[in-house]
Amino acid sequence: MVLRRIRLALVVLSLVVLQTTVFTHLRVLDAVPDLCLVGTIAMAYEEGPIPGALFGFASGLATDLFLSTPVGLSALAFALTGYGVGLFQSGLIRESKGIALFLGGVGSLVGNLIFLIVGGLAGHEELFALHNIQVLIVASLYDALMAAAVFPFVRWAAKADSGQAWPPL
Amino acid sequence: MVVYRRDTRGRSTLLIIIVLSLVLITVDANGNSVVNSVRSTAHNVIAPVQSVVNSAFQPVRNIAGGITHYSAVKSENARLQRQIADLRGQLRVDKGTGGEVTQLEKLLDLPTTEDATGIVAEVTGGAPGNFQRTVTLNKGTSQGVKVNYPVVTGDGLVGTVTQVFGSSSTVTLIDSPTLGVGVRLEVSGATAITEARAGDRDLSLGFLSDMNAVATKGELVFTSAVTNAAFPAGLPVGTVASYSKGAQDLQPTITVTPVVNLDNLDYVKVLRYPDPTAAPNGG
Repeated sequence: MVLRRIRLALVVLSLVVLQTTVFTHLRVLDAVPDLCLVGTIAMAYEEGPIPGALFGFASGLATDLFLSTPVGLSALAFALTGYGVGLFQSGLIRESKGIALFLGGVGSLVGNLIFLIVGGLAGHEELFALHNIQVLIVASLYDALMAAAVFPFVRWAAKADSGQAWPPL
Repeated sequence: MVVYRRDTRGRSTLLIIIVLSLVLITVDANGNSVVNSVRSTAHNVIAPVQSVVNSAFQPVRNIAGGITHYSAVKSENARLQRQIADLRGQLRVDKGTGGEVTQLEKLLDLPTTEDATGIVAEVTGGAPGNFQRTVTLNKGTSQGVKVNYPVVTGDGLVGTVTQVFGSSSTVTLIDSPTLGVGVRLEVSGATAITEARAGDRDLSLGFLSDMNAVATKGELVFTSAVTNAAFPAGLPVGTVASYSKGAQDLQPTITVTPVVNLDNLDYVKVLRYPDPTAAPNGG
């Protein structure tokens, strides 16, 4: 249990470091991937709504420290997304191929939309700009691609002890 | 696959997370020293990694830039050669009027670029999020950088420092919707405030002092000379990209293209302004 928590903390740390260093140089059409959001979606898919929400809150807080928007905004958006994805996956009858890409894309769209709406209501009116719809779409496609790498990483951290660490995507 | 029931414990956990997030948003929006110190620590930890990654990515960026922008670079080079020749001539003409303006600014006790000393900084990355127009610099409070210091390149204004940490700082770019710059049109002398829209690299001018001001394409736009201004007077901000005024319009629509390529910044200078006497600690 302790080892699992350490692994999950390391996952959050690595995703934040990658997000704030490497991916600031890999902007495509004004969009960068939200690695911690994709990690949250992966966690929610693997473990359900509450672990997803908790992972989203923790990784969102870590992300917030590097943004100019208020601390707590990504934490809220990621936690709600994690909870929602967790509820959705509990209704799935069987796993299907490509589910990671699908959830990565749709979850990212929802998470970023929550970020924009709550941020805009919190006083950052610039977030309501029309251009951000384009950014949302590009970012969700980017996140869908990133899901292919992030899902196995999170699965390893969450399930390494149970011997189910690397099932196919 | 595990089946989860929508139990009350789960809902109360989610409720706690929501309340906690909203409290944090409220607390941070009003400024909180604890949140700021945690943020500062996180930035100080990540700053050396950002520098290393930035250095590692430089050759990749150069190669990618060379491949994708070769023809553009070639034509830009030819255009710049012509511009240098034109500017040499223009400089000779401006020397006379420039001297007069400097004398007038001194008489009015208006701060100028010459009053500010600078800290050279490397741009180590862009914004980590999707909805900000910022860059990160490798200089912070330990090198004398402060919030609200203007940031420039040799070409002109880049933005202003909005967050500062021990060894890094965040600069909000002039094409960010959150930043407005007081400017003056080169020919008419009319003053205005720049307004940026998300996703649009050009700026539009609002609050024009002269509703009948006319601007021509290519005309330079400088920071305006105002007492207690956020920027020193006379910094080039952009060139007029378009001008239009309909019969029913109260004021003309003027768009300005920034003189600095804000998507490709390597080194910048942070101006110690408005307190140029601040003791430099390095840089």
